[in-house]
Amino acid sequence: MLIELNPKQLKLRDELQEYFEGLFTPELKAELNLPEYFEGGGPEFKKAMRTMGSDGWIGLSWKKELGGKELSPIEQYIFVETIMRTGFPFPFLTTESVGPMIAEHGSEWAKEEIATKILKGEIIFGIGYSEPNSGTDLASLQTKAIKDNDGFLINGQKMWTSLANFSDYIWLATRTDFEVKNHKGISMFIVPTNDSGFSMSAINTLGDVRTNATFYDNIHVPDSHLVGKLNQGWSLITSQLNLERLALVNHGPVEELYKDVLKTAQATKINNDQYLSDLSWVKHNFAQIHSGIEALKLICWKQTWIMESGQLNMAEASVAKVYGSEFFIEAYRLMMEIIGELSILKNNSEFRILNARLERMYRTASILTFGGGTNEVQRDIIAMAGLLMPRTR
Amino acid sequence: MDFSEQPHQTEIRDSLNKILSEHCSQECLKQYDSGFKHDEDLFSLLSGNGYLGLGINEKYGGSGEDLYDLGILFERLGYHAAPLSLSGCLVDVAQTIQKFNSDSSCNKILSSIIAGEIYTSAILEPSNQDPENPATSALIEGNELIISGTKYLSELASIAKNILVSVNSDEGVLLVLVKSDQVKLTELSSTANSPLFKVDLESVRVDRKSIIHEKGKGLEALRYLLQINMVMRSYFALGVNEKMTSLIASYTSEREQFGRVIGTFQAVSHRAANCFIDLECHRLVNQQASIKLNTNLDCENDALVSKIWAANTSHRTSYSAQHLHGGMGVDKDYVLWRYCLLAKECELINGSASQNIDRLGINITTNQ
Repeated sequence: MLIELNPKQLKLRDELQEYFEGLFTPELKAELNLPEYFEGGGPEFKKAMRTMGSDGWIGLSWKKELGGKELSPIEQYIFVETIMRTGFPFPFLTTESVGPMIAEHGSEWAKEEIATKILKGEIIFGIGYSEPNSGTDLASLQTKAIKDNDGFLINGQKMWTSLANFSDYIWLATRTDFEVKNHKGISMFIVPTNDSGFSMSAINTLGDVRTNATFYDNIHVPDSHLVGKLNQGWSLITSQLNLERLALVNHGPVEELYKDVLKTAQATKINNDQYLSDLSWVKHNFAQIHSGIEALKLICWKQTWIMESGQLNMAEASVAKVYGSEFFIEAYRLMMEIIGELSILKNNSEFRILNARLERMYRTASILTFGGGTNEVQRDIIAMAGLLMPRTR
Repeated sequence: MDFSEQPHQTEIRDSLNKILSEHCSQECLKQYDSGFKHDEDLFSLLSGNGYLGLGINEKYGGSGEDLYDLGILFERLGYHAAPLSLSGCLVDVAQTIQKFNSDSSCNKILSSIIAGEIYTSAILEPSNQDPENPATSALIEGNELIISGTKYLSELASIAKNILVSVNSDEGVLLVLVKSDQVKLTELSSTANSPLFKVDLESVRVDRKSIIHEKGKGLEALRYLLQINMVMRSYFALGVNEKMTSLIASYTSEREQFGRVIGTFQAVSHRAANCFIDLECHRLVNQQASIKLNTNLDCENDALVSKIWAANTSHRTSYSAQHLHGGMGVDKDYVLWRYCLLAKECELINGSASQNIDRLGINITTNQ
C-alpha cells in the first residue's frame, strides 16, 4: 500500500502549475470575472483553449493512436485538480468525454473534422442529455431522430444544455427506436448549432451560471453525424460516467479555497491582540474542513487507482460522488461562517473577501448533489453494489 | 499510488479471521460479558502463531516493521469483538521501545512480548485533557526516580509485570517502566467490560535505567506513543464499524415487513449507504495515517484526522445499526450489542471527536 503521488506525478503537477500560471493572463482573469463569461466562451477563453491545444494539453485521456497523450487516470486527475485550482472553466466534457468517444466511434468525417479540432481547442460541445420529462430517468428521453434517405431528421427539446450559448455542436442523445426497452433505442448525434432548426432560450440560475433550453426543429443531419452504432448510444453515455463524476468532486478547488480562507483568517485582526484564527470556533471549523478534505482526497485517489488497475467498482464511484458533493456544501458553509457577514458581499461590492469567491461558490455548489447522477440514485447503488442489499423499490 | 494489500497482508487478514471466528463465537464471547475480559487461550494462540510480532522488526524476532500489518491485527480484533485488549502491550510499549530505545534491553523486551509476556502502559490520567503534559511526576534523586501520581484506563494491568508510565520531571517528560507490584491497582468497570485499571503510584522508586528512551527524547517518544495509539485504536474501531455495517446489510436484507424486505425501503437502504460512506472515509484516513507513521515519527494531524473519523463513524454507525435492527439491536442474544458498546469506548478513549477537532484546529491555525 502506497498512498502518495510518485515523483513523476509530482513533476507533472509542478509542470502543469507553471504552465497554467503562464496561461492565466490578467486579460483572461478579467474576462472570467464577467458574469456572461463565468463558464468561458469569451475571446480570451477561446485564445487560451487554442494555446492549450497547440501546446498539447488537450486530449490527455485520449489514446495515443487518436492523437492524445493517454495519461493514466491519476495523471488526468492531477490535470483536472491543477486547472480547477486556477478557476479556469476548462470544458472537460468536450475534451475528455465527447472528444475521445468521437475519435473512437465517429465516422471518417467526424474523426477528421471534429475530433481533430477538439484536440486543437477550436471546438466546444454542449451536452444534450436531459429533457423536460427526462432527468434522473434519462433513458426515457423522447427527442427523436428518424431515418430518411440520406440521414436523420431530428425533433425535440433538451434542458440544461450548458455552454450551448457558445458551443459549435451539441452532443445529442436521441431516441431512434420506439419499440424496444428505453435504453436500447438511443443513438448519439453531432448536431451543429448553426443549423436553422436549432434555437435556444437562456435559463438563468441562482449561481449566475447561464444554462439553456435547446430546441431541435426538423434538423437534418447526414449519416456521418451518427456516432457509434444505431441504437447503441446508451453505452456511450454511460462509458465515461465514473471519470466524469470524479472530475465533479475533485478536491483541488475546495482545498485551494480552504488555504486562502485560512490565510485570510490568520491575517484578519479582530481586536488589539487577536486574529480571527485565534477564536476557538474558527479553529474548529478549519479542523472540520481539513478532516473532510483529507477523506475526499483519498476517496478520489483511490478511485483513480481503481480505474488504473482496470477494476470496476460502482460503489466506490458513487461514494465519491455523494460524499464529495455533500461535503462541498458543508465546507463552503463552514468557510462562510468563518468569514461571517462579509462573505455575503458580492464581487462588485466594497468589503468583499477573496474576490467574493465564497459568495459565488455556495451558489453553484448545490447543483452537484443532483447533477451528474442524483445522490439518491448513487445511494441506491452504494446499498446494492457496496452492501449487496436488495434493489430499492 | 497503490491501495492494494500485499499478498502477505491478505494472508494475515485471512488467517486471523479464521482463528478469531473460531474463538469469538457468541458462546465464547458470553463468558467475557462479565468478569475479567481476557481470553488467555486465544492470546497464547496468537503468540504461538507469531501475530504478536506484527509491526516489529525481524531483528527482534518480529515479522517486519510495517505498521499496516499491525493495523490489520487491531482491525480484525475489532471485527470479531475479541476479548483481548492489546494496544498497551503491542502498541504503546512495543512500538515506542522499538523506535526510541537502542540498547540491549529493547531486544529483550520485544522478544518477550512476541513470546507472549504481557506488558502494558498507563498514560491517561483522570481529568487531564492533555496527555502530553502528565500530572504524574518523577523526582530525580541520583540514579533513582521517585514517581507519584494516578493513571487510569490501563489495560490488563493486573496480569502485566511491567507498566510503562508517562511522567513529568526536571528533565521534562519521561517514559518509565515500573513493576506492577510497586503500584496499587484498582479494577474499573467499563461500558464494554474492558479490562481497565486505575494505577496509583505512591513514591514508587525505580532505577534511571527504567527510562526507555535516550535523554531528552521523552516528549518526542510520548507524542509518538499517543499518535500510534490513536491510529491503532482507530483500526480496532474500523473493524467494529465494518462489522456493524455488514450486520445492517444482512439483517435488513432478510427482515420482512409490509410483505417486503425492509432493505428495499429507500429510507433504510440510504441510512445503510451512509454507514458505508463513513466506513470508507474512516478506512482511508486510517490507512494514510498508519502509512505515514511508518516513515515519519510525528504525524499528529494525520493521527487526529484518523481519530476524528473513527470517533464520528463509531457513533453514527452504532446508532444506525441499533435503529435499523429494531429490537434485535438491543437483544443480548443477538450479535450487535457488544459492538455498540465497543463503539462507544472507541469513540471516547484518546479523546472525543470534539476534543480532537479542537486540537487539530489549533495545529492548523498555528501552521503546525
